[in-house]
Amino acid sequence: MANVAMIDYTLEFLTATGVEETFVFCCWKSAEIKEHLQKSKWCRHTSPNTVRFVTSDLYRSLGDVLRDVDAKSLVRSDFILVTGDVVSNFNISKALEEHKLRRKMQKNVSVMTMIFKESSPGHHARCKEDDIVIAMDSATNRVLHYQRTQGLKRFRFPMSLFQNSIENVEVRHDLLDCHISICSPQVAELFTDNFDYQTRDDFVRGLLVNEEVLGNQIHMHVTTEDYGAHICNLLMYEAVCSDIIRRWVYPLTPEMNFTDDKNQNYTHSKHNIYRGVDVSLGHGSVLEENVLIGQGTVIGSNCSITNSVIGQNCRIGDEVTLDGAVLWDRVHIADNVEIHHSVICDEAEVKEKVKLKPRCVLSSQVVVGPGITLSEGTVISLHPPDEEEEDDDQFSDDSGVNKESKVKLKGYNKKDVGSEGRGYLWKADDKNEDDEEEQRQSLWGPAMHSEEESESDSDLSMGSEEPDSRAASPQLDDIKVFQNEVLGTLQRGEEENISCDNLVLEINSLKYAYNISLKEMMQVLSKVILEFPLQQLDANLDSQNYFSALLPLLKNWTPLFKNYIKRASDHLNALCAIEEFFLEHDSLCTSIAKVLMTFYQLEILEEDVILNWFSLRDTSDKGKQLRKNQRLQKFIQWLEEAEEESSDGDQD
Amino acid sequence: MEFQAVVMAAGGGSRMTDLTSSIPKPLLPVGNRPLLWYPLNLLERAGFEEVIVITRKEIQKMLNLDTKMKLDFVCVSDNMDMGTADSLRHIHQKIKTDVLVLSCDLITDVDLYKVVDLFRTHDASLSMLMKKAHEPTEGVPGQKGKKKPVEQRDFIGVDDTGKRLLFMANEADLDEELVIKRSILQKHPRMHIRTGLMDAHLYCLKKYVLDFLVENRTITSLRSELIPHLVRKQFSSPPSLQQGLDNKEEDQKKKEQASLDIYSFIKEDNSLLKPAPDNSCWNDHRGDMNETLHEGKVRCYVHIMKEGLCYRVNTLGLYIEANRQVPKLLLNLGLEESLVHGSAQITDRGMVGSDSIIGPSTQIGEKTSIKRSIIGSMCTIKDKVKITNCIIMNSVTIEEGCCLQGSVICHNAVIEKGADIKDCLIGSDQRLETKAKHVNEVIVGTEQLMEI
Repeated sequence: MANVAMIDYTLEFLTATGVEETFVFCCWKSAEIKEHLQKSKWCRHTSPNTVRFVTSDLYRSLGDVLRDVDAKSLVRSDFILVTGDVVSNFNISKALEEHKLRRKMQKNVSVMTMIFKESSPGHHARCKEDDIVIAMDSATNRVLHYQRTQGLKRFRFPMSLFQNSIENVEVRHDLLDCHISICSPQVAELFTDNFDYQTRDDFVRGLLVNEEVLGNQIHMHVTTEDYGAHICNLLMYEAVCSDIIRRWVYPLTPEMNFTDDKNQNYTHSKHNIYRGVDVSLGHGSVLEENVLIGQGTVIGSNCSITNSVIGQNCRIGDEVTLDGAVLWDRVHIADNVEIHHSVICDEAEVKEKVKLKPRCVLSSQVVVGPGITLSEGTVISLHPPDEEEEDDDQFSDDSGVNKESKVKLKGYNKKDVGSEGRGYLWKADDKNEDDEEEQRQSLWGPAMHSEEESESDSDLSMGSEEPDSRAASPQLDDIKVFQNEVLGTLQRGEEENISCDNLVLEINSLKYAYNISLKEMMQVLSKVILEFPLQQLDANLDSQNYFSALLPLLKNWTPLFKNYIKRASDHLNALCAIEEFFLEHDSLCTSIAKVLMTFYQLEILEEDVILNWFSLRDTSDKGKQLRKNQRLQKFIQWLEEAEEESSDGDQD
Repeated sequence: MEFQAVVMAAGGGSRMTDLTSSIPKPLLPVGNRPLLWYPLNLLERAGFEEVIVITRKEIQKMLNLDTKMKLDFVCVSDNMDMGTADSLRHIHQKIKTDVLVLSCDLITDVDLYKVVDLFRTHDASLSMLMKKAHEPTEGVPGQKGKKKPVEQRDFIGVDDTGKRLLFMANEADLDEELVIKRSILQKHPRMHIRTGLMDAHLYCLKKYVLDFLVENRTITSLRSELIPHLVRKQFSSPPSLQQGLDNKEEDQKKKEQASLDIYSFIKEDNSLLKPAPDNSCWNDHRGDMNETLHEGKVRCYVHIMKEGLCYRVNTLGLYIEANRQVPKLLLNLGLEESLVHGSAQITDRGMVGSDSIIGPSTQIGEKTSIKRSIIGSMCTIKDKVKITNCIIMNSVTIEEGCCLQGSVICHNAVIEKGADIKDCLIGSDQRLETKAKHVNEVIVGTEQLMEI
């Protein structure tokens, strides 16, 4: 973030606001964070803010952290909860005073004060992902309702909000959540009590819903002057970066060098141009406005640079255009390159005549070019998208030897990264275009304006009065879905030779997921299995082929049937399903006898039940016709005889 | 002429039938003036010279108002059940300009210009008046215990300035939740949801709204249909006109539909005013540089009175309350006449409280005390009568030694000696016997009850 690590901003904010002790909880790459902080001014003796580390690989969420805080009883008084990606110059003292006053007036009622920054919808630092709508009591600043708005067209507020004695409920959509909260020690206890709280959202929601039961309240503080933002995605990253350069976060500006790092000395000149030590700028190059250039960077001639951040020790060639670019350290940009609104990470290289359209990301050590154009939203990383290849790829990252051969071996796609390029196009799935879209969105954060458009569209369509004409999406029949799922499971079972026990497990779990009764289950299973050969082979099979295809399947899946067919009614249900299937497929009618025979021989169906079924009277005309089938009659006859024989044998 | 004023005085007063069964609502005496006088006076004070009054024949006949304004009575027959919108539609040919619609039961000391200025400043489609609803202070005759407000609450959403009306819903129409469209909050990110506001039924409407009303015959009520429709329409965009051009048939259909759409009635401004919003750098919202007024063609505004009087006399409770407040109002208005009429004959002035009104030609006997009460004309009140907190209409006779408290006595009633009445409503032409004792009762003629 403007050549300074994000966490430094957060710590500086805390220190500036008077915090004297900070616990940093880290999980992912905690060693690196620790190393960074130990080198920084926060760990010097003179630091007014004592920074302590608590690291654990088990922290999966804020909830885990706070439960740990409670378990270790790290806090005994009010504390400030921030995420490590908050950039702010907010002075917390007033909010803290309010918070303390509230705690004093009504003991232990208000447990949390959330800090918000006022900013209208459409403000560039508001991202859709983190957008909220709040209902508050304007007299007491109490939060009544807190809702994330992503993907919502209408906001719903429970009527209970308005039933109380609160005269003026204010609905606010002009707030930016700074993710700074002043918490009482109860917050950690509440997280312990409610082990299902994972995020702060869970906590807030839980508290608001149970307010009447537990009597805990959440309050808010809105700042209009100060700056506060939480960097949750690249959209926010870009927005906050440009805000820092434009001095909105004063006094956290680059030339202040608040991290007290000797490599971070900048001079500030007009139009917000910041230059580090030993920056060389070639002849004819122009730094238009809002540019930050790190120490030791060399820029060639005739470049045009606007609204950009350039890290330390970068090499930039001639005739380069940078607009809204963020370059980290040691980036190499060759001649005639054009970069718009993109992020380029450490040690990446952009070769000649490459053009980066907006919202591209080049991850560390990636090389692109020469002479290609990356379309909007391209993400290139050295980590291949497929997990299987990841291991040896990491090896290639480090080694640097035999790179050429490895590249060839692995085949960086020249189309994507250029003839000398290194890196993989980051796509979730080649087949699925939507997925890629999603991926890109999650990296950059969905843009605000695109949503507005769709909004107006929807307005058009519902311009007329009916506010409630919400088109309910056609809900697929549960049984249908279940049937498809079972089919899929069996197909996989067939292809991958999964044992019947596992299949049973899977089908069982499906059965519960879709809330399917045993009867429906039986029908679906029989139907799916009988249809299976039709799916596998051509739809128009003659009965002979059909049966030969079915036979091995039935043999394979005998345990499956046996698992489900236990009581007499199950047998009957299965038979009915079989009958139904053959009624639907007239051409296969002749094989019904064989199928039943197989079921009988595999001891899935018992003879009594088959006979029982055959003699059922309340059947349709078609059913009767089916029963007139010669082979079937023969089979039944055979069964009857066999039974007589066996019963004779018993008598003997 | 900028506005034409219309006073709706045809309503039956269906929520106070005990009173209105004998006296039509516009004629109910409030502070010894017919109810209708108050909205007319409000208009007169604001400088109106002509008013259209929609009323019924028999009301017009009985009406006797002293006003300098030219009153144009339009009668609707009372057997037709006409809603307020129907009434307005009925007179639309008389309407040439924007219109100010009032209900006859409005008693207020609001400065009318505040409502009208909202309308003018924002080039609004609608501006209206609201006031925090009154909590009933005292019991109402014939009502046992404390009654909960029967009427469903309204939810009103106003913007940050408290002027723009963004949202309107009635509790009855909502299920478990209040639903607000995102697009509204996108344009007006701060919305105050107010409950417990009373709509004064005073509306400034653009002429085109009336044109729209004429075409849309399905709308019968202003308050419950037209106004919510307008409020909703603020945030839906007008139908695009380009699509229909490809297909003639479709075009035809579009036209038919469009005729029912409010947007087609909005006339473009004259050429001089039109570029003004575009050329000015003023806009009515913060945070972005979007067009003034967010391009919304329909705009509704509301003036919420913070202080002052504002009553809608549509229930017995409010009728009593209004009568209680009216002496203050009349004094504030600077009507020079004193509260006690010159022709009243009062033997013992000391016993009449300064907060009481006594009508002309009323006789009041000795040792009779009257406090916080309003007594109509030609009443005869004998000696040793105690009247507290009462409304006594015209030609009522109260004989010696009666004690009346918190009651409403209608025209021509006779209360014989020594009656003790508390919190009662006595209908017209009733005769209470000697020493009758009534508490919290409604006594009206049986034949009138039959009518109902």
